[in-house]
Amino acid sequence: MNALLTADALTRSFEVGQGMFRRRRTLHAVNGVSLDIRKGEVLAIVGESGCGKSTLARMLLGLLPPSAGAITLEGRNIRDLGHKTVARRVQPVFQDPYSSLNPRRTIASIVALPLEVHGVGTAEERRRKVLDILDRVGLPQRFADRYPRELSGGQRQRVAIARALVMNPEIVICDEPTSALDVSVQSQILNLLMDLQKELGLTYVFISHNLAVVEHIATRVAVMYLGRVVELADTDSLFRNPRHPYTQALLASVLTPEPGLGLPDTHLGVAFPDPLNPPPGCSFHPRCPRRFEPCDKVTPALLRDAGGENAVACHLYPPSPANASLPKTKN
Amino acid sequence: MTDTILDVRGLSVDIATAGGVLHAVRDISLKVERGKTLCVVGESGCGKSMTSLAIMDLLPKGARRSAAALSFAGEDLSRAPGKRFNALRGNRMAMIFQEPMTALNPAYTIGDQLAEPYRLHRGASAAQARDRAVYLLDKVGIASPAERLGQYPHQLSGGLRQRVMIAMALMCEPELLIADEPTTALDVTIQAQILRLLADLQKEFGVAIMLITHDLGVVARIADRVAVMYAGQVVEEGPAAALFSDPRHPYTRGLLDCIPVPGRTARGGRLGAIPGVVPSLVGEVHGCSFRDRCPHARPVCAEDPPAREVDGHRWRCILEKAA
Repeated sequence: MNALLTADALTRSFEVGQGMFRRRRTLHAVNGVSLDIRKGEVLAIVGESGCGKSTLARMLLGLLPPSAGAITLEGRNIRDLGHKTVARRVQPVFQDPYSSLNPRRTIASIVALPLEVHGVGTAEERRRKVLDILDRVGLPQRFADRYPRELSGGQRQRVAIARALVMNPEIVICDEPTSALDVSVQSQILNLLMDLQKELGLTYVFISHNLAVVEHIATRVAVMYLGRVVELADTDSLFRNPRHPYTQALLASVLTPEPGLGLPDTHLGVAFPDPLNPPPGCSFHPRCPRRFEPCDKVTPALLRDAGGENAVACHLYPPSPANASLPKTKN
Repeated sequence: MTDTILDVRGLSVDIATAGGVLHAVRDISLKVERGKTLCVVGESGCGKSMTSLAIMDLLPKGARRSAAALSFAGEDLSRAPGKRFNALRGNRMAMIFQEPMTALNPAYTIGDQLAEPYRLHRGASAAQARDRAVYLLDKVGIASPAERLGQYPHQLSGGLRQRVMIAMALMCEPELLIADEPTTALDVTIQAQILRLLADLQKEFGVAIMLITHDLGVVARIADRVAVMYAGQVVEEGPAAALFSDPRHPYTRGLLDCIPVPGRTARGGRLGAIPGVVPSLVGEVHGCSFRDRCPHARPVCAEDPPAREVDGHRWRCILEKAA
């Protein structure tokens, strides 16, 4: 497969202070994550708050060095490539368009900034490029000389997308790009992202907690829980046949606008784990309705199906001789 | 005794701003039946939170309420003094907010905060309040409730804090619970658990719920009746089943088309969109407020649209039905 960007046993830990007189403790935000991001796909990373999805995104962007493991862009470690080279090819769109745009700069100068940093073209050429890209993301050119405060949330998110695309990147990492928006605006931004992907041949890493949106836009899904990938599958398989009990609970929790279906029972316990002191074995076991003997002792490895691309980390699916552990996944 | 616990008629909220008077809520009427759930749904700025604050007499300074009637359990509160609301709030009507971290006082223990309304309104002793708090914490699914009483809000996760908020709201057996986006700040699996809890508690205690949300998925699963708000008005209101299967107002229909539904919307296909932006509500507002964004708009929409009703399903539009 055509892996464009590869995360190899990525781990990131933070030292967390617990108050003046207490020992500092280590939080493993991302713990041994291996993923291939393939050309032209939309890889969704889903999970709840604190599962490490945004930390993973920042590492993939080269904004945060991993504590262990490596990220390679077409076979070359991004640490060696340098930040500018990575930034030319991998660009972000963040969640909150209210805080991700500099309030003192005009829209044109916000969108032109990557061009200036990379020394692309003359001022006149840059201006033309900016107007082109504004047009492409559906913003009237008259917005070029306005300020972010004059724009609505949806318009601001279009500016953030224009800024990400102005350098013609190959990969766009979207971290909850529609979570701060109203539904009528969310659908416009999702339509735009899908159109741009087709027109420009982009690859997306789409981070979200909204499963309905993920089902709509993604081609492949990685489900994270407490720093690890617990299930990885193509969108169709994942939604048709979720295997990890956590994935099953996540899907059951999607509230579609269908009255009469009532409220789902996720069968989950309320014991939410402390990420500073994760439970032994499978970190999901305290909430898992299907836990059995090995779950609180042995951490399940992310195992790929025999001959398949999909993988799950759960003792309910024991390795058979035909199953091979994903290479280089440390557990 | 009437079956209607809350009957709001002709409620308006005006906010004085530098640019003029902002008509945040414009002449709306709502009813909540005992033991039932009314969901008020709409996007940011539609006036749904102002509506709930106006009913609880908790409007911020500068916002002014006027109402033809605001009747709670048969008593008209539209001209009642603040004192009367103080006696009712936290007692016979209670409220749950979106962000439990800011709604709970970080300097007091869970036990103290749970006990306060019960001791204040019921004159209960500390021991009685403690017993009731333990009973309710257990009811909302918190393990070892007696030990939790001595803990502070920061020691609890977001889901547990919201459970504490619900327990606190139920301390005095309210007849009406107003919940403003109670699960918006929570993870999806926790959201499902909290909503189930609310529905179970409603069955057990018979409390009426008015739930404010922007999430049509939440509405569909918990509401008996739904009111859709747009630009300070209720544009459509009716039984949940009818509203979702047969939406009459173009805005309701547009909202439903915007949401991807696994198994129903074509994967990767175009989602519906509502072009344009919400109109300004400063100054005089005339006609249908949705007309600038409506695919069915015509010149007559510049006048106030007629109120229509079929089998308790009400909407305001020139059309019988949005195609």
